[in-house]
Amino acid sequence: MKRINRKKVWLAVMIAVLMLFTACGDDDTNGQDDTGSDIPDEEMGELVPDLTFLSSLPEANMVNYEMSQEVAEELQALGVNAESQPMDFAVLLDVLYGDDMDYDAYTIGWSGRIERLDPDMFIHSINHSDNAGPGGNNTNRYRNPEFDEIADAQRREMDIEARRELVFEAQRILAEDVPKITMYSRANMQTYNKDLFEDVINIPGEGLFNEWTPFSIKPLTDETVLTVASNVNIDDMNPLSSISVYGWRNLRLIYDKLVRLSPSIEPEAWAAESWDVVDDTTIDVVLRQGMTFHDGEPVTVEDVKFSYELFIDENVEYFGSFLTPIDTIEITDDNTIRFNLVEPYAPFITNTLAQIPILPMHIWENIENPVQYTNEDAIGSGPFKLERFQTGEELVLSRFDDYFEPVHIDGYIFQIFASPEGVLTALELGNVHMVSYDLVPSHTEQIENNDGGRYDHLELTEGDDIGFFYIGMNLDRAPFDNKQFRIAMAHLVDYDLALDVHLNGYGARGGGGLTIVEANEFWHNPDVPIYDTYDPERAREILAEAGFTWDSQGRMRMPVE
Amino acid sequence: MLNYFLKRLFVMLLMIVLVSTMIFFLFRTMPGDPTAYVVDPSIPPEARQQLLERYGLDGSLWDQYKVFITDLARLDFGDSFFYNRPAIEIIQEKLAATLILMLSAMVFAYTMGVFGGAWMAWRRGSRLESIGITVSLIFRSAPTFWVGLMMILFFSVQLAWFPAQGMRTAGTGGGTFAEMFLNLDFLRHLILPALVAGLYFMATPMLIMRNSMLEVMSEDYIEMARAKGTKERHILYRHAARNALLPVVTAGALFIGASIGGQVLIEVVFSWPGLGREIVTAVTRHDYPLAQGSFIIISAMVMFMNLIADMLYALLDPRISYN
Repeated sequence: MKRINRKKVWLAVMIAVLMLFTACGDDDTNGQDDTGSDIPDEEMGELVPDLTFLSSLPEANMVNYEMSQEVAEELQALGVNAESQPMDFAVLLDVLYGDDMDYDAYTIGWSGRIERLDPDMFIHSINHSDNAGPGGNNTNRYRNPEFDEIADAQRREMDIEARRELVFEAQRILAEDVPKITMYSRANMQTYNKDLFEDVINIPGEGLFNEWTPFSIKPLTDETVLTVASNVNIDDMNPLSSISVYGWRNLRLIYDKLVRLSPSIEPEAWAAESWDVVDDTTIDVVLRQGMTFHDGEPVTVEDVKFSYELFIDENVEYFGSFLTPIDTIEITDDNTIRFNLVEPYAPFITNTLAQIPILPMHIWENIENPVQYTNEDAIGSGPFKLERFQTGEELVLSRFDDYFEPVHIDGYIFQIFASPEGVLTALELGNVHMVSYDLVPSHTEQIENNDGGRYDHLELTEGDDIGFFYIGMNLDRAPFDNKQFRIAMAHLVDYDLALDVHLNGYGARGGGGLTIVEANEFWHNPDVPIYDTYDPERAREILAEAGFTWDSQGRMRMPVE
Repeated sequence: MLNYFLKRLFVMLLMIVLVSTMIFFLFRTMPGDPTAYVVDPSIPPEARQQLLERYGLDGSLWDQYKVFITDLARLDFGDSFFYNRPAIEIIQEKLAATLILMLSAMVFAYTMGVFGGAWMAWRRGSRLESIGITVSLIFRSAPTFWVGLMMILFFSVQLAWFPAQGMRTAGTGGGTFAEMFLNLDFLRHLILPALVAGLYFMATPMLIMRNSMLEVMSEDYIEMARAKGTKERHILYRHAARNALLPVVTAGALFIGASIGGQVLIEVVFSWPGLGREIVTAVTRHDYPLAQGSFIIISAMVMFMNLIADMLYALLDPRISYN
């Protein structure tokens, strides 16, 4: 009994001491923050509202989680009541895209998918005021009429150089207005077996398993079938219903496309022999001669017209925005298809023509409900034939010998693993030859350290990502409606910490207002100054200059209008 | 007996309807909706709406429930959102893989458990007994993913005796059941995960068997047999073990029922394409039809095996009757 009592007393004393310390700590910071303003509290502006930073769960994205904690702490040091609230990704999306638009700020990212190399996504979709309503991609609720005009103009400009000028100008405005703060981009760290294969191609935003590597890769030994490891599942083989990224990355090797983006991301006529922009809203595409589908039937202009119309009629969600600009499609001669657009649409060639697969009309015209069709024996005209798709296990493809472009491997297997650990073991044992996803940082390190020469046969590749992770702010709300506050915020993000510590240096720095990152060489405007220095003192100065004040308790107050 | 059986069957059906209802609403109270996972957030809101319609999620919750329960009455679980195929097809495919793995593990665990347990009770107090208990408890308490990783490290990477993961060598195997499961390649892939699962499950039958043996061994008829001068091994297996087996049988029947959910960790470590893994991803993807279907089948299976266990009890032990 006595003992327990003593314990209790100790506990009470400890708690009391602890509380005293915390209380003192508060007093200290308050004393420091009190910048000695002479104005009585009640004559100052409103208190800066309490801010909540929504972020991802640590297991989903550790860097975003940590960074949002850091920024919240920086704000606290400045006298703003800020906290970070981690949540499940689906819930976060619900909040950001929901009708209530009820949030202050958040951290999230845009992945660098290949169609996003076209600047329309990052300029128009996520910054135009048309998309600032509920469900729109402009989740920062950024509205600037001057910017909107340019964002619209670049979309209509069919001349690529003139369009580039407009995109540069748009980036200048964004860098000035700072609607969001880009924190970092991840490098795409991947690996393949260099003892068995050579001539892989690394594409920004896509990595090693892109639409070119299977064409270009050459076997060095008698292992002529490439095994590619994946750690995510593929859904199905129907181009009209497949919505998983890796479903698509495989489907585009089974089904051919009129245009493919070259490894340097320029549109290249592929199943098309050439295209001709007749005028701003008329594009003629000449089909390549002598192509056949995997079942031996010839590929004709009817197939192309049918495919595009099927995608339009079936309202395929994934491609909606690429297809809505199409008004009509006509066959002008045996080899030529004419696309009439509703209005000029600059991404038509880079996105629309480069995305829609050519389906065999003789098969699909007889299918009653194309979107529900499982398409187990997918027949396309692409470089690879589907041999077998075993849900959750593997996709087996073999070379299509009648393809117009030579392929050096006999086929490839896309193997699905349950965890990256399993893939690493399989890589070590030589059972798989390439990864299709970005290695987790610890595996990158393991391969780099190459302990005992275990990974001698692996080549580590680094690619730049055109996607980025950022802090978004709700510009409909105070204090984020104040541009100076956003600029000050950009000084509270430790960009080097994100890159050097959290990402082990595998990535690129961000900056306030950065939208098209350097990796997207052609469209990135290198001459725009962005706010990319971490400097909390400077942040305080900017805020003071903008009329923010600190009251006797050190709390930040809004400027008086 | 038959009456009792029918009555239980009827109660079971009611329970399944109840459980299905609970599962239905449980999934729909989960935050987030299926469109968040299947498509990129960048799709326009109209497209999201279309997708919801395609999935039949645009109606009111009550309307959705009516569709769900009438379909269920026809044993139709709907189409998986993700795979765009009937959920039941996916479940069947995955269930085969899981059951083969779990039953192999069970055969290992129960053979080792029954004989080991009986023998341990017989040699009570010996050093071998304490070693046996310790070993079985170590495997029971060690995280299966860790044991799995160690096994892979040792048997696959160091010794290269067994493949490290998957159900077959990449690119082999075909469509039919025989091509998929009845071959040496499959067997080689099965051994490691089955062993890890088996070692994990071994403690239950072993300790139950040991305890119930100890009880049986204090019975008069064992003493009687001894007094008659019957051989030790004869007493152990003919007289004691047979009677001690009863609780182990119950545990075994329940095990089968519960096993179809699989051992998720083992399936993940060995990249085994089983139902457990599929359920986890189905839930995170909000693939309602697939997740619902799997859970309903699992709960039905557990209830059914419970019933079987009760029936077996009456058959094995004449003292128990249900009349």
